[in-house]
Amino acid sequence: MGVDRRAVIGLIAGGAVGTMFTPAIWKTTGSIALWSQNWGWIPRIPKGERKYAYTTSKLCPSGSGLKVLTVDGLPLTAAGNPAHPLSQGGVSALGLSECYLLYSPARVKKPLLKTGAQFKEISWDEALGLLADKLKAAGGKAAAISGDQNGTANEVISALLAKLGCADKFFLMPSEGQAAGRAWQLMGGHGLIGYDLANADTVLALGADLFESSGATMLNARSYSAQRSSLDKPAAKLVYVGSQRTTTAYASSKWVPCLPGREAAVALGLAALLIKGGASSDAPDFADFKAFVSAGYTPDKVEALTGIKAEVLEKLAKKLTEAKKPLVVAGSEFGQGAPGAAYMAALAVNILLKRINVPGGVYATPEFPKVVDGALSRTQMASADLVKYLSSVAAGKTPAPELLITYDANPAFGLPQAPAMAKALAGAGFKAAFASFMDETAAQADLVLPASLPMERYDDVVSPYGAPFAVYSLVKPLLKKPVHDTKAACDVILAAAAKAGLALGADSFEKLLKTKVAAVAKSGGFIAGKDASPSAALAGKDVAAFSGDPWKALMEGAAYVVASPVKQDGLTLGTKTLAAALKADGAKAEDGALALTCAYKTRSGSPAVGIPAQDLTAVRDTELAGTKTVATLNAATAKMFKLEAGESIKLTGPAGEISALVALSETVMTGVVAVPMGFGHTAFDDFSKNKGQNVLAVMTATEEPATGVNSWSGSKVKIAKI
Amino acid sequence: MEDRHSAKQTCGGGVLFAIMFIVGLAGALVAGWWGFPQLLYSQNSQPIRFSHKVHAEAGGMECKQCHTYAASGQYVGLPSTEACGECHADETGGKSDSDKEIDKLVKTYVQPNKPIPWLTYQFQPDNVFFSHSAHTGFECVSCHPDVAKMDNPPVYYQDRLSTYSKQTMRMPGCERCHAELGVNNACYVCHK
Repeated sequence: MGVDRRAVIGLIAGGAVGTMFTPAIWKTTGSIALWSQNWGWIPRIPKGERKYAYTTSKLCPSGSGLKVLTVDGLPLTAAGNPAHPLSQGGVSALGLSECYLLYSPARVKKPLLKTGAQFKEISWDEALGLLADKLKAAGGKAAAISGDQNGTANEVISALLAKLGCADKFFLMPSEGQAAGRAWQLMGGHGLIGYDLANADTVLALGADLFESSGATMLNARSYSAQRSSLDKPAAKLVYVGSQRTTTAYASSKWVPCLPGREAAVALGLAALLIKGGASSDAPDFADFKAFVSAGYTPDKVEALTGIKAEVLEKLAKKLTEAKKPLVVAGSEFGQGAPGAAYMAALAVNILLKRINVPGGVYATPEFPKVVDGALSRTQMASADLVKYLSSVAAGKTPAPELLITYDANPAFGLPQAPAMAKALAGAGFKAAFASFMDETAAQADLVLPASLPMERYDDVVSPYGAPFAVYSLVKPLLKKPVHDTKAACDVILAAAAKAGLALGADSFEKLLKTKVAAVAKSGGFIAGKDASPSAALAGKDVAAFSGDPWKALMEGAAYVVASPVKQDGLTLGTKTLAAALKADGAKAEDGALALTCAYKTRSGSPAVGIPAQDLTAVRDTELAGTKTVATLNAATAKMFKLEAGESIKLTGPAGEISALVALSETVMTGVVAVPMGFGHTAFDDFSKNKGQNVLAVMTATEEPATGVNSWSGSKVKIAKI
Repeated sequence: MEDRHSAKQTCGGGVLFAIMFIVGLAGALVAGWWGFPQLLYSQNSQPIRFSHKVHAEAGGMECKQCHTYAASGQYVGLPSTEACGECHADETGGKSDSDKEIDKLVKTYVQPNKPIPWLTYQFQPDNVFFSHSAHTGFECVSCHPDVAKMDNPPVYYQDRLSTYSKQTMRMPGCERCHAELGVNNACYVCHK
């Protein structure tokens, strides 16, 4: 009885039947299904103890409080801190990205020294020694640029420059806060400027994109939301005047198209109508102001300058007159580059409406005391104009600094006429960049000092521009140690200064902040909370002063608030300055030139952080088509230039040119081309690099007569088909 | 003769077929029930031979002392290295197996403050939202092995293909219990 074919079939059949009664097939099938869900590249949610930690966003200019979800102590994701007055539970795209940016591939991981065209890694001791040597050698021929708009870090850096004898070479990256601050000073105002949207009943935004780039954006958004908390009629009206439908325009009850950079003319036109209707002021220059606006800013003249029809302007003036608590806020459509005259004119309207230091109006907020000897005040910092300085360096009128320190700033990318500015920066003798990412400025530096990100260091946020109350919050490290071999930049600056014999009075930034907090806590303010709302305090509610351990309270994410405005004496309407600044307002634009505006969204990041990776997927094809920038025009403008959707064009400014694809949309007014901002990086990582073009390259910075403010929101470009 | 021979052959062939069928069947059953699991699962042991019995019985500890609920009601899972270090901060220097194991814990994880790579028997994937706080009416041992009585951690069988533990509760297990108790079995209940 040998084994034949039938026996083999029997064996196989038996085996097959047997297998069906085992888990082999079913289990393997199930395991393969699960295996297919476990590809290595699928991100995993870390498992572990989940807790919330509280800090403040340093990357978001509006200084929102953050409520950060941590897993086993590691920050996982951020939301707005409901108890923080500048956040009230809201968070911007930039604040949200703070956790994720810790692991960005563009981060600088070690100190780097440029040798030839390449960087080589060096130790922190070597880096510190080199920086101290360069400080000693540079003496008074140093300069510094800070990307921090309000923190105590600026006190440290400006005090260092003061010790070197060049405090006048401390510059901030341009922002609305500086231009508005400068305007306020020129009108004889004291303190910092803020806007109480929460208590206003009619808000007129002149260019200012209140919910995206202008002032305390998150506070503005929460105030707007609170005024629309029921299905009833909104508690406040919002009107937007600007050349494109910005985020604020979409949220407004009315969008009034107006040429970019012409906000001052609108405000002065309104002032003329208000005065005609009986408005007046105790300001010493009221009579001159009345004569100036009545002659130069009649509705017809304003229409010619701005594109706003006379009857629309009259309706706006009527709205302001009828309102009980009107508020006018000026700014740029993209958070920078508005002329000083725009802020001055808008402030003048608020003065005429008697809206200074009253609920729902413009507030002058106090500065907190300085704690570093020799440091500049916020007001002094606002007076120094970086664009003016670099333009002068580029023109050879001012010598380039022998040592240039950049701190959390990317001027090689983020300034108007970017290529020319980058060239001026390149002329500096030795460039030391404190940078968290390998950005355009770090890439051309001689020494790159890797800076810890806000979630890895101590820092502070001090009264961001636009907040109607003075507010102080702390930034604290949420990680036990930085992700890479980075250090808090201010600790390095303090150590290098001491090594160079320029000790600044503290050996660590944490200790310095403790001194700052102790000084701030003597301001008679309170800790904001559910029963201590700054907006309610501004509206007249009594709030008990804070007593307790301020450092402990602030380390837990609280905000210290002073809701008492700075009294004003000798405030003027700025007539003389306005008249001089706007002398050329009626000048005819060059033939064939088109007004240029930028479309900015916080999800496009900032010059110093690039485009956050997770936000890249949110970029629309109306902003970027593949790697090409999309320029938006309306149908009438496209017809004027004989352009059609999808065609390639070249935009040319005095300092450079960019190419783009045409998109047609009625969200931009006639005679204006809108180009998205925040693209065109040549450094960073795959998420930021080589995506579109930098619109700042074709922006033109113009120094405004009398105010001395450089502005570029009214830039013009030539447009040609390619 | 030929027919008779042929019938005999047929009869013999049928028997052989049956025998071989049974051999194949038996072989497949043995291979499927004994051999296949050996092939599919790797056997791993925990990084530290942790005795739940010693901690629960001799130490008088309760499950929740280490496997705590967070304030949100979300289950924390395993204790942190710092939590172990609260009692085991220093090496014992003892010679017993237990002492050596404690010393290994202290030296390898507690002192350098490194996370202990515990193997989680019922690790659920990210797409499953399981809330222990919604299941507080059940005893721990309804779903988990009664480790409180074990001196040695159970062997961790890891599926070589899916990488999950053999003990991980699968969807049919969840669904069955939900169905028996009349609880909603819709997708969104567990998959957010």
